[in-house]
Amino acid sequence: MLMATADSILGVPTPCAPPGNGLLILLAAMTPEQLERVFASLTASFPKEELLIAAPDAIADALPADSYPSLRIVTAPASNSAWTLTAADFVSAYQLAEKHEARAILMLGSASGSLGSSALRELANAVLDPTDLALPCYELPPHAGLINSAILYPLTRALFASRVRFPLAVDLGLSLRMAKRMADAAQRFTAINQGQTPLWPVNEASVAGFAIDQFDVNPSVQPTAPELNTILPLLIGPLFSDIKAKAAFWQRFRPLPPARNTMPMPLAPTADTAADIAPMLSAFRLAYTNLHEIWSLVLPPNSLLMLKRLAATDAAAFRISDSLWARIVYDFLLAYRLRTINRGHLLGALIPLYLAWVASHFNIIASGSDPEGHIEAVAAAFEAEKIYMLSRWRWPDRFNP
Amino acid sequence: MQNVLAVLLQLDPNQSSRPWFAGNASIWGNMADALHQSLDRVLLLLIAILPGILAFLVALAVFTLIGMALSALLRRGLAAVKLDERLADGRGNSNWTPSTSPTVLIARVSFWGSILLGLIIGVSAFDASYATATTLPSSLLPYLTRVVGAAALLIVGTLSARFLARSVLIGAVNEQLQYARFLSLGIKWLVLVLTAAMVLEHLQIGGNIVGLAFGILFGGIVLTLALAVGLGSRDLVSRSLESHAEHSSESSATPSTTSSDDSIRHF
Repeated sequence: MLMATADSILGVPTPCAPPGNGLLILLAAMTPEQLERVFASLTASFPKEELLIAAPDAIADALPADSYPSLRIVTAPASNSAWTLTAADFVSAYQLAEKHEARAILMLGSASGSLGSSALRELANAVLDPTDLALPCYELPPHAGLINSAILYPLTRALFASRVRFPLAVDLGLSLRMAKRMADAAQRFTAINQGQTPLWPVNEASVAGFAIDQFDVNPSVQPTAPELNTILPLLIGPLFSDIKAKAAFWQRFRPLPPARNTMPMPLAPTADTAADIAPMLSAFRLAYTNLHEIWSLVLPPNSLLMLKRLAATDAAAFRISDSLWARIVYDFLLAYRLRTINRGHLLGALIPLYLAWVASHFNIIASGSDPEGHIEAVAAAFEAEKIYMLSRWRWPDRFNP
Repeated sequence: MQNVLAVLLQLDPNQSSRPWFAGNASIWGNMADALHQSLDRVLLLLIAILPGILAFLVALAVFTLIGMALSALLRRGLAAVKLDERLADGRGNSNWTPSTSPTVLIARVSFWGSILLGLIIGVSAFDASYATATTLPSSLLPYLTRVVGAAALLIVGTLSARFLARSVLIGAVNEQLQYARFLSLGIKWLVLVLTAAMVLEHLQIGGNIVGLAFGILFGGIVLTLALAVGLGSRDLVSRSLESHAEHSSESSATPSTTSSDDSIRHF
């Protein structure tokens, strides 16, 4: 299903281009079972097309020779990460596309077999036609994709004027020129042996003025990611760096594209997935006791006062206001830029605050609010507080905590 | 008898005019001589040092001026070739990249490098002119270098202690250890004590006593930490362990009804 495109320059559904024609499909490392599902999904999506698939050696060797005669497998370098696309992936994707004269690239993660054949076809069709970046809009349970909901999506929306709900999707489609741009951006990292760094396709496409599209998909399986203490610095550090590098772009106000007609429908929480916020709140309170000195280097007194009140609030009434959360993230972004403290320490000090936001989010969901509605409200607060961010970015010396 | 009296009563005009303390005149003379000699020695020393001091000051002033000129020249040159923009394009996501712009950094390095060079040349000139005068430089100048080395050790040690203390504090808080601050303080003081011992050792103060005292103090801190965790904070530790065990047992015993972190997917 092609959704109403928020960022597409066309604004109308594109006609179906012949799938498999000039399309390179790049697969991440996956188990044989996952590979079977992906191949089944691909052959169902493009039944009459010969597909060019680039896969790591281990996957290519695991494929039975005559099981899928319509698939032509070429070897690709193994990915550095199983849970996100890295700089090295984008470089190898563009090199393979050039080598095989592909017109577009479909990059699929380890759980892409659960996306469904129609989703794969939509992503492929979009990038074979003038759309430059096609992203999935995952329909996830309310307790999933929380870093995306708390930080990645609101920041991308506020600063890059894009409504892409999952800016760091592991499955995506790229036109050739978008792949080239991503490869150029990625080479800065691979050249200094940081090929495992995540890249931000939405930010690149926004700066380049490329067409972006997103499609609703409903994955039944989600890839496993590292634990929070590892993943948050791994994601937020590169995002802050990218925002810092593109400051000249986002400091100008740009109109946000109109909202989509339909919002992603999160799967209803079941009884066994009701979240216990007690560990998160205890982590936040412990951090308030111990990390107050570090937070006071980053956050203004007003935010600290509100955090003090939150630390004394009962679990049932625990709520972080959207504007406070937006300001906290912006203050950490600014401290990252100014190197107020060591960047590793800074991102580590953000973790308890993020957990407090998650606890607050769960409380709001438990009170009957729509999860997606709350996430949209958070994103709107990030937009509203952008002025605060801009003033502090341009004149950081006006405020010295 | 008369002869004896005559001898006793004989008055010698020279003898009668001599003061009774005439024997002490040589003491004053010796003291004056000693003072004069000392003053001469000090003056000679100063005369020997003065060219060295002047050479030191001139070398420092000249190289400071050279550094300022070089720094200004580099700033203008690098700004003209837009080095900052070029490097910003190629800079990755390193945690150790400097916060200031590369142009400013290069200019500062060149300035302080020139001053350092001036210092080295000045000290060498001072050493050359001074070494001929006395035996002092053989002990003073090496000791000055030791003082500089000790100061560098102290700075590095203090910064390391602060960095490690923060790292441990944030890591322990994120692991939800109740004694995070205690752990952080322990690490900080261990590093500071180690630094102090290294500095004293470098300055050759105290000799073996420092090593011995450091061993006792370091061992004492470790023992104190062990005792504090084992005895003094036993309730704290047991509560922490119990809560940890409760969480794990709850999640393993009733996986369908509890809401452990397993049900939450952050990414």
